[in-house]
Amino acid sequence: MTSSNPRIDETSVAALQNALAAEHAAIWSYALAVAFLSGADATRAREDEEAHRELRAQIEETLAQLGEPAASAQPAYATPRPVTDAASAAELAVVAESDTIAAWRSVLERSRDRALRQAALDTMSAATLRCARWRAAIGRTPTIPVFPGLQ
Amino acid sequence: MLAGLLFLPPALAGCGLGGGSGSDEPDPLIALADAARADAALAAAAVAADRRLADALQPLVDARTEHAAALEAEIARLDPDRPSPAPAPPPPGRPGRAEVQQAVLASGRAAGEVALTLPPERVGLVASVAACCNAYAEVLA
Repeated sequence: MTSSNPRIDETSVAALQNALAAEHAAIWSYALAVAFLSGADATRAREDEEAHRELRAQIEETLAQLGEPAASAQPAYATPRPVTDAASAAELAVVAESDTIAAWRSVLERSRDRALRQAALDTMSAATLRCARWRAAIGRTPTIPVFPGLQ
Repeated sequence: MLAGLLFLPPALAGCGLGGGSGSDEPDPLIALADAARADAALAAAAVAADRRLADALQPLVDARTEHAAALEAEIARLDPDRPSPAPAPPPPGRPGRAEVQQAVLASGRAAGEVALTLPPERVGLVASVAACCNAYAEVLA
């Protein structure tokens, strides 16, 4: 236990680092996706990217308070499928949101701190909504995932 | 939302897990499974009353039915002797979209409350149920 804060132990810190890595990847994904989107979808992609930038900043601030060095972003990420048009861009957004939901779910599983769990739960709910909108864009059903973070 | 979380008073520290094992307490997932069945029945009744709601509400009927089954499986894991729950009674009247939205909003909040106190091996399922309900409450509003 290197953490000086008794509430947020080593396991929680590792989960937060994992969530940070997912947020880095999501920001990168939206920056790529927006190049293939137009109109309302492009606007939404920028808003969603901004939401992830905010989450990234909050995790980094939390880690800084704990005296833990924050994990850095990778220079680039491998996309599950090539992004070549609006549909594959929206699909990448679905992947990015699904990955962050899973990472935040893991924060809940790896921390017993109420405040951290509440923050992770709120983040899961917001990400599920973002994910649902991109799933709708590519016609995936059900639009809202039944077990967000599990599938 | 995360920012400042470390500045909470220390009195709150460590109160994450309530009540120890508390084997006399009913499993908190039972109420969540009941709510899932009730939401599914309510949404199904709303669709039956107005077919135009099917696109919006049938996925919710299916999701809440799946939630009930998954929660029931987790309840049975800790209590194998638990009898099969009775199906939810049909809701009175002709529920509409607003009633369904209110119900799923309340269910999301209840699941979220429970999620804060569960042990690690149970919290993921309940958090997923909460996030799903919260998303439906948002899109149906």
